[in-house]
Amino acid sequence: MTERSIAAPPLAAPVRRRGAAGLSRQRMLLSAASIILGLVIWQLTAMLVIRDTVLLPTPIQTGATLLRYLQMPYPTDGETLIGHAATSAMRIFAGFAIGTVIGIATGALMAGFRPFRALVDPFIEITRPLPPLAFVPVLVVWFGIGETPKIVLIAMGVVPVMAISTAAALDRVSEDMLNVARSLGASELHTMLHVRIRAAVPHIVTGMRLAMGLSWTSIVAVEMIAATAGLGYVILQAGLFLNTSLIFAGILIIAALGIAIDALLRLLQRRLDPTMSR
Amino acid sequence: MSGVAPGSGSGDSAQRGAAITIAGLTKTFWRGGEATEALAAIDLEVPAGAFVCLLGPSGCGKSTLLHIIAGFLKADRGEVLVDGRRVTGPGAERCMLFQSPTLFPWLTTRDNVLFGPRAQGKPRAAAEREADQLLELVGLGAFRRHYPHQLSGGMRHRAALARALINRPRILLMDEPFAALDAITRASMQEFLLELWERQRTTIIFVTHDVEEASLLGDRVCVMSPRPGRILSATEVRLPRPRGEATRDAPDFVVLRRQMRAELARACQ
Repeated sequence: MTERSIAAPPLAAPVRRRGAAGLSRQRMLLSAASIILGLVIWQLTAMLVIRDTVLLPTPIQTGATLLRYLQMPYPTDGETLIGHAATSAMRIFAGFAIGTVIGIATGALMAGFRPFRALVDPFIEITRPLPPLAFVPVLVVWFGIGETPKIVLIAMGVVPVMAISTAAALDRVSEDMLNVARSLGASELHTMLHVRIRAAVPHIVTGMRLAMGLSWTSIVAVEMIAATAGLGYVILQAGLFLNTSLIFAGILIIAALGIAIDALLRLLQRRLDPTMSR
Repeated sequence: MSGVAPGSGSGDSAQRGAAITIAGLTKTFWRGGEATEALAAIDLEVPAGAFVCLLGPSGCGKSTLLHIIAGFLKADRGEVLVDGRRVTGPGAERCMLFQSPTLFPWLTTRDNVLFGPRAQGKPRAAAEREADQLLELVGLGAFRRHYPHQLSGGMRHRAALARALINRPRILLMDEPFAALDAITRASMQEFLLELWERQRTTIIFVTHDVEEASLLGDRVCVMSPRPGRILSATEVRLPRPRGEATRDAPDFVVLRRQMRAELARACQ
């Protein structure tokens, strides 16, 4: 055994990792600087160029509006921004959860049975590029104006994304890896659960991140359906009353929630896929 | 190291390598109505504990043959017998090692080694003890908590070997396992494998397209023809064991290597 030649690579590994950490801190600083720069440009543009708070409020005004409506209800008989955010988040989670379950099941069946894939593929290909907004009227006809059409609309966006990414994730698990498991004495069921599905999980979470992002982008469309609460509703209402800074405040909250939830999913992904945690 | 060197105890005789008999094996692949004849009437006798190398150009059905012995593929005709029993599917007594170590990337080195015992529901404590011993044996004792992507190429192959050995397979099927390694690592892996085999006498069928590798490792080198694969010649290698780095320079080895190269060239015509 040549222990010397074997010991060399691991020595290099921690060094590389420290380098990556330094690099990522540098990248984070750069990102923070870019956000601050963006805010400064926004502030200066609003103050010096546009000089009309209805057309473009300054970031400081937007922040003030946001803080104010975190405690004060909007409209006066409505909820605070926190309440609206919670309403939107509940709709998204419900739609996302239902869509994810259906999507993963569909994708698993697509990966498992070729005929099923041939059957389902055209429908997915047709629905995928359609804008969610187009379905609003028909969903109202079908489901009325309660929570159901809102949740269905979000689920409709999630299903094809999850189905495609699940099928692709299961497809890309190599036959060799499955054979390794069989050759180590694993039953077909054990191979399926502990190797094929386990190997696919990180990629399925990637699909979930995409689907979650998609859900947030469609929240305004969803809350065009006779909503009386929710961030999309606030943005639409504020638009009617030319309360521009509140529009921006709503957009900021959507952005913050979207980023926060994506960060959680990324954390989950990192725990499930050790090759990512560097 | 009771779990690692089955040859040492008297009660371990059943754990020794198994004999393989391959009779009249044929395999044809169909793709889009077009037939590709991969194997044409393969007959092969491998005595228990032997080290047999299958040498042939790429695309001669060597891998197909290994896949059939492993039970991943079914032959069209003919049969594979292991100690007289017919192979019908994959089994832990025949372990396959691939060109890529194919470790499970979500498991640490130690958990990779423990995959087999866990899948078969074997007692945990004993398996863990054995895994630690095996990791020491393959020189990865300090890397049991590392994930595969944190290991070097050679280390991954050692981990894959440890993962295979924990099941105490009676047959190792090796499909060009060291082909992707650099020359230095490959040489050290070859010697490591020889050392291990000397100790355990597991039956090994080793597929390679490397003349030197086949000549150095095998008791017998079978040269296969390009598609449809058949065994053209079988040469008994009488070089003394243990073999190692010095063997490569021995005059007999040089002669053998030249002879095998000629055989391979003839096979490719």
